[in-house]
Amino acid sequence: MWMGGGVAAEDRLNRGQFRTVGRRLLADSREHRRQMVGAGAFVLLAVVCTLAGPLVIRAGIDHGIEPGNGRALNTAVIGYVGLIGLSYLVGRRQFVYVNRAGEGVLRDLRVRVFDRMMSQSMAFFDEQKAGVLVARMSADIESMAEIVQWGLLQFMAASLLVVLALVVLAVLSPVLTLVVLAVFPALIIGSIRFQRQANDAYLAVRERVGLVLASIQEALAGVRVIQAHARQREQTRRFNAANAALYEAHRHSTVISTWYFGLVEFCGVLATALTVGIGGWMVHAGHLSLGTVTAFVLLLASLFEPVQMLSQMYNSLQSAGASLHKLYAIIDRPPEVAESPGAVDLPAEGAIEIAQVAFRYATGSRSALTGVSLRVEPRQRVALVGPTGAGKSTLAKIVARMYDPTEGRVSFGGVDLRHATLDSLRRRIAVVPQEGFLFSGTIRDNVRLARPSATDAEVEAAMVAIGAGDYFAGFDAGLDTEVRERGSRLSAGERQLVSLARAALVDPAVLVLDEATSNLDPGTEAAVEAAMERLMTGRTVIVVAHRLSTVRRADAIAVVDGAALVEYGTHDELVALPGGRYRALADAWTRSQPVLTGE
Amino acid sequence: MYRVRPLRDAAIPSRPVATPNALNMRASWHVLTDALRDQRRGLTLAIGVGVAWGAAKVAVPLLTRLAIDRGIVGDGSLIGWTLAIVGVGVVAGALTGVRRYLSFRESRNLERRLRDRLFAHIIGLHIGYHDRAQTGQLMSRASNDMQQIQGFVVMIPLTLSNVFMVLASIVILVASNWLLALIALAPLPLINLLSRRFSLNIHPTLVEVQQHQAQLATVVEESVTGIRVVKGFGAEGRQRSLLRAEADAIRSTSLRAARIRSSFLPGIDLLPALGQIAVLGVGGHQVLNGQMTIGELVAFNIYVALLVQPLRTIGMTVAFGQRAAAALTRVGEVLATTATVVSPAAAQRLPPPPGGAVVFDRVRFGYATADERDSLVLDGFELTIAAGASVALVGATGSGKSTVARLLLRFYDPQAGAIQLDGVHLALIDLDELRRAVAVVFEDTFLFHDTVRANIAFARPEAPMAEIERAARLAGAAGFIAALPEGYDTVLGERGYSLSGGQRQRIAIARAIVADPRVLILDDATSAVDPAKEHEIREALGEVMRGRTTIVIAHRAATIALADTVVLLDAGRVAATGTHQQLLDREPRYRAVLAAWAARDQTGAGETGADVVDAGNVDAETVDDGAVAPGRVG
Repeated sequence: MWMGGGVAAEDRLNRGQFRTVGRRLLADSREHRRQMVGAGAFVLLAVVCTLAGPLVIRAGIDHGIEPGNGRALNTAVIGYVGLIGLSYLVGRRQFVYVNRAGEGVLRDLRVRVFDRMMSQSMAFFDEQKAGVLVARMSADIESMAEIVQWGLLQFMAASLLVVLALVVLAVLSPVLTLVVLAVFPALIIGSIRFQRQANDAYLAVRERVGLVLASIQEALAGVRVIQAHARQREQTRRFNAANAALYEAHRHSTVISTWYFGLVEFCGVLATALTVGIGGWMVHAGHLSLGTVTAFVLLLASLFEPVQMLSQMYNSLQSAGASLHKLYAIIDRPPEVAESPGAVDLPAEGAIEIAQVAFRYATGSRSALTGVSLRVEPRQRVALVGPTGAGKSTLAKIVARMYDPTEGRVSFGGVDLRHATLDSLRRRIAVVPQEGFLFSGTIRDNVRLARPSATDAEVEAAMVAIGAGDYFAGFDAGLDTEVRERGSRLSAGERQLVSLARAALVDPAVLVLDEATSNLDPGTEAAVEAAMERLMTGRTVIVVAHRLSTVRRADAIAVVDGAALVEYGTHDELVALPGGRYRALADAWTRSQPVLTGE
Repeated sequence: MYRVRPLRDAAIPSRPVATPNALNMRASWHVLTDALRDQRRGLTLAIGVGVAWGAAKVAVPLLTRLAIDRGIVGDGSLIGWTLAIVGVGVVAGALTGVRRYLSFRESRNLERRLRDRLFAHIIGLHIGYHDRAQTGQLMSRASNDMQQIQGFVVMIPLTLSNVFMVLASIVILVASNWLLALIALAPLPLINLLSRRFSLNIHPTLVEVQQHQAQLATVVEESVTGIRVVKGFGAEGRQRSLLRAEADAIRSTSLRAARIRSSFLPGIDLLPALGQIAVLGVGGHQVLNGQMTIGELVAFNIYVALLVQPLRTIGMTVAFGQRAAAALTRVGEVLATTATVVSPAAAQRLPPPPGGAVVFDRVRFGYATADERDSLVLDGFELTIAAGASVALVGATGSGKSTVARLLLRFYDPQAGAIQLDGVHLALIDLDELRRAVAVVFEDTFLFHDTVRANIAFARPEAPMAEIERAARLAGAAGFIAALPEGYDTVLGERGYSLSGGQRQRIAIARAIVADPRVLILDDATSAVDPAKEHEIREALGEVMRGRTTIVIAHRAATIALADTVVLLDAGRVAATGTHQQLLDREPRYRAVLAAWAARDQTGAGETGADVVDAGNVDAETVDDGAVAPGRVG
């Protein structure tokens, strides 16, 4: 497209920032310096070849044609052929060098940004939106790719070409150069105006493309509601308005390019006409050779094309700079120091001791937990119960050391989790989230998540351990079935089974479970419940419970409410507690289920 | 806008959209030719301006030649020729702009009209189509494919005027010096050929780059959204190496693209120079021999330079055309899909309101096509509901309860049997009239990115404010709406305010109340509302249900009790009918179903969180309990 990019006012870097970002990029690309130097050399050579062409023609005219010297003419022709051969070879090499350097830089940037992202704490992921992080790694880096693949080469070549062309022109004829420069103020002012307008037009188009897409997506997602209320016509009218606005933005951006391209063309013709007119008069007067005037006319092309290109490139450079700035912000974030110096392995078995734990999310305005103390004996099963947002999931996450408590401590077998090696922590304590989260790849890959080196037999053993040894046998490729993005090939229940097998492969001493709230498909519900039960058997379990059946099967119930542990005991003990929270919860629950009381 | 999620029904298999055939392809070309014909005036104007532009461009070298031969070398008026060049230059400059503007305007306009047509078509397609279609695919039809088509259409007037200019230049060159013309033009067809081959060669590689970029984005997306699993299992290293592999793949594929560029572009750039050398060599000697003037020589060189760009774009046009054809075929396929559920040609009017008598007569229905008979959801389903009566449908998951609601809306037509509303077959009722007469509140609530008011008044945007407020009150939504930052004017959705699942269900109930239907269907419509709140809503619903046929699909006993009659569904048939108490007493299957639901119902914590939101504490809420944060509960 004619508009390379655009950048919103709030993202635009000032000159100092732009320079800093650029310098840092250069410093970071030290590894690719040889490629970059090579690229620069070839670009320079290519520019020289471009400028030499008209000079050779000038020699042919002035020394060959005008004086009637056939040999000089032939020399010029042969020289030109050689020049083109050289340009061709240089041209080929410059692509290779520029791209090797550029792609190398981009590859390193991708790896570095992602590495840094992965070593951030959970708090980082709480405060950053997933979509924004994905955009950093895709849209932002790709906006630089355009610059790297095309732009950098063109930018360097265009700048060099303008400067060198002016030098050559000035040497050939200072007077004629001044005449040609007369059209430049109009061209430069026009280019600056164009660059600004193009930036705004680009942003407007991008915004409206987003609105049109959102409108389509909403209509597709809500098509059942739209048809259920027979509102297709109205919804279409709304879409038409968004679509018309996009058309208008496109049309407006065409208007901008129209006047600008017209201006550039007009300036080019005017400069040519002035050269021919005034140059011709000077030839008449004997001040200038005919060859020089011809070379002038040919060189003008080397002057106008790059100016036009530079004005378009400016916006791309700006947006790439803004992207790079955001990427550096991620790279500059200190990583979470997860393993303390002198960390020790956790023992094979032990009790979990939660002592006076308080916690506040970095993004939260109030404490998520205060003064929670709880001891879970080996192989004991504790259900965490309480209203949404009371803190039970937070407590589970702290036990799994997703977060470190703000106050107090959590220990396993007497070792503070903060002083445990990460490796032993992941082997002793496994988490099963509410919904089976799968990654693209095969079922096997997903089970192997914690231990990519696990053998096929070990993966199958994990499946057998949760009683799902034959479950996936019916699939075309068995355990090698591709689950597709987010496991969309599998049902929610099947995803949960894979997620449980994943934990079984770890064979942990402690299981932290977040029970699913939604109903599963009837076909897998029984299999999932059985798998969960087998996985929990013989292990210390902390389960965030949403179902009465799960609560009833627990050895003890911990009621979390208002960020604190308010009650602890068995079902029967807690139901007997007059005015207790658990009792109220159980009451509310049974009231809406009178059937069960009759059973 | 809320999360995209299909209606929950295990019986709907996902399956690709029909494959293309020759007929489709011809129909697809008609889509384009019809659209072009509709814009023939604008396109003709663009082509006309293009031809004038070509004439002006061709005139410049001609004038330059005259200026050199008569003005510089001869004794003519140099100023006159200079002014002539300037004059033509101004015209050419203006026409360059106008040609571009008109071409882009027409192509963008065609894109807009085609997209409008596509949208209107898709949104009117039967729900069975939408069950199987993938949102991403349809989005791509309306965005990427439209762009490809636009990219080709803009080339049509540009290419035609380029062809005119190339031909005119060739005629002038041949007429003035055919030998030199032949030599100068010899390399030019190669430019065209190389451009075309370049476009075709690089395209698959660029597609591959895009695929790797998409895969890299997937790795990032999965790592970020699944960060708890990644951290919980210490899988950071695994994700890093996956990313590294994709980053390496992007680099190597991009370098392959660079190599393709390097083997074509310098050649394409330098070929015209070969023509210019030939002109200088051969033409120079002709000038020396007095067979040719210097002006002619310069003009020749300018012509050769002038032809380069048009020839390159003509080469690109072919490649663009091929891509557009592929896009057009895909779009044509969607447009060729006909809606299977449509209004009858001669619709019968429903009797005047209130009405609302519903009859299902030996209905057989399955979501799969007829050849997969074992996947029937309803088989021999019989149900009669008198006008104004209320019925609760109870059954296990997959027993067909929700299907009954969808059939009554005519989202699908049954494979056998008949459904009647007030004595008229559904297929004989105008679709709009039918869907105004029947309103369903789905379990999976969908709200629009719009104000609360607009969402409630969705079915009747002209409904007065008082009615909207009454509906909100009856649905138990008035309280939390009043607490929203801008009340009824609060904008909802992903880019707006997030509501909890229970709150959204209450808005959906209000929406159905405003629709004021003859038949109201509540499909598990209060599943996310907590029991205490549900109790309030139940009382209000009594007022809505009075004199209105109501079907309640529910599994909480208290909600079931709203209905006069309970119908137990089992395996697509009515297993038993009676009052709640009667069925409890005599139907073991009924007790079993309710007990099963009860066992998996939540421990009463369901919506208490939403009440925390009611109180205005959103921040900590959205962090804790990630998957059940307000606004994300299905």
